[in-house]
Amino acid sequence: MKKVAIGGGQGFWGDSPDAAIHMIRNADIQYMGCDYLAELTLSIMAKQQLKDPTKGFAPDFVTRILKEAGKEAWQKKIRICTNAGGMNVEGCVDAIKNWATGSEMAGYKIGYVTGDSIKDKIPQLLKDGWTFPNFDYDGNFNEILDKIYNCNAYIGHEGIEGCLAQGADVVITGRAADSALFLAPLKYEFGWAGDDWDNLARGIMAGHLLECGGQGAGGNYMYDWRNVPRMDELGFPIAELTEDTFDITKAPDCGGIICEQSCKEQFLYEVHDPANYLTPDVNVDISHATLTQIGDNRVRVGGVKGKPRPDTLKLCVGYHKGWKTVSMLSFAWPDAYEKAQYCAEVIMKKMQRRGMKADDIHISYIGLNSLHLGVADMSEDAVKNLNECIMRIAIFSEDKSECAKIIPEISPLQLNGPPGASFFGGRARVQEVMALWPTTVPRDALNIESHILEVK
Amino acid sequence: MPEIYLNDIAHGRSGDKGDTSNVCVYARKPEYYKIIEREVTPEKLKEYFGDMVKGEITRYDVPSLGGFNFVMKHALGGGATMSLRLDSLGKSMGSAVMRMKIHVEDGEV
Repeated sequence: MKKVAIGGGQGFWGDSPDAAIHMIRNADIQYMGCDYLAELTLSIMAKQQLKDPTKGFAPDFVTRILKEAGKEAWQKKIRICTNAGGMNVEGCVDAIKNWATGSEMAGYKIGYVTGDSIKDKIPQLLKDGWTFPNFDYDGNFNEILDKIYNCNAYIGHEGIEGCLAQGADVVITGRAADSALFLAPLKYEFGWAGDDWDNLARGIMAGHLLECGGQGAGGNYMYDWRNVPRMDELGFPIAELTEDTFDITKAPDCGGIICEQSCKEQFLYEVHDPANYLTPDVNVDISHATLTQIGDNRVRVGGVKGKPRPDTLKLCVGYHKGWKTVSMLSFAWPDAYEKAQYCAEVIMKKMQRRGMKADDIHISYIGLNSLHLGVADMSEDAVKNLNECIMRIAIFSEDKSECAKIIPEISPLQLNGPPGASFFGGRARVQEVMALWPTTVPRDALNIESHILEVK
Repeated sequence: MPEIYLNDIAHGRSGDKGDTSNVCVYARKPEYYKIIEREVTPEKLKEYFGDMVKGEITRYDVPSLGGFNFVMKHALGGGATMSLRLDSLGKSMGSAVMRMKIHVEDGEV
């Protein structure tokens, strides 16, 4: 029976390349998917591209994965699908072409998918009456029009499959949905129909279990993190599918763990309603799914169902929102928290006197309540004997100069504040705050195209 | 009735989409599923988080996996891009849920 194995090579832009390289060298896989894009990544890339038109993609895919093991992948016929193209698919393709040419890989086929970035289509869509309603908040889209960095639709498997059908050895996309990178090769190999919802849902869930890399194999693993083997050599997950079966496993001779609990923690990660997990390709129903250990580092996935895909595509619009500054000072025992708290009071009084107008201020104490916030243990016992505590003041303002006002006020507290204040990490900088406008767009507003470039 | 941390009988993971945080919570043993079902209602979780979670909390039950998915709106101080929190993605929302104290019957755990 035909079996297709696909590995997850990256979980985000900045992830370690080690597991992907190990997988190419040691695992029996035919495909690898590498996800680089989180919600905000495209806005960061768009900003980079504004400064330098050759940027705007994830160069690490070329410099850290292809350069190390890309030729080996090609020789072993492991085809790689990735959304490393980000905001600049063509730029990424150029970088790959240069690498492949320099590596004497004549005949290497680079597939790429264009059409997810639709910023230039906004005026027409508005004219046609599309209002870009915000999923999360009220608000009028017209108010952010002149502040938009990027506007990308989450596209499905079609463009990627189109490249694979033309023989691509590697496929580069922009904002393809993470799981589409994995569904596309599975659908292509098994010849599933575009409305074979149950199978498409299986392909999506294979992608879902792989798209976060190590998180699907014992990384960020609450159940039993102490006993994850060789976390320093954490392997990433691999999905093996036949027409009837769907297993998660990992490469031989690497760390990590594939068990029911590790798969469970990833299974509902960033899912909302398990009976209606919406993707561009299919509406997935995992409300009756099962995960069963069937061997060493091998879990069988069952009960995944699919329903027709949504009519619209999710659209992620990144725009300029304002500015922020984060300032910190550290304090030691005795009374570390009390000193840190008093110091924050002193600073805020000074800022009031300086007339700082912040739109939002968030004060927390690292080592005590900066993570669990309102549910942190603030009992006398927890606070009394703290070895150390870091005061953290974060300020948001739409006005950059308001955010800058606090910067010179922090380090003087070493001499002018409660005892033992220590300033670290250098002066704070004013950072830009970008926001997301989550909305939808009609499918027919997009013109998705598959291209192939063969290295000479 | 003894009081324990949810962490003693459950595990899970938090994720983020915009300002929405989801935390999946699984029973560490099959028999603990009923306890979580009874003790960790959306209402109790909402009361537990107070100001930290500003929007509604929905619980989706997935008995075939022995777990639940809690979806909490306006839970991340504006979300990844806007939040002034140190943990803007809510990576520690999972452990924050596990820190909730729940009641169990004698001999139940």
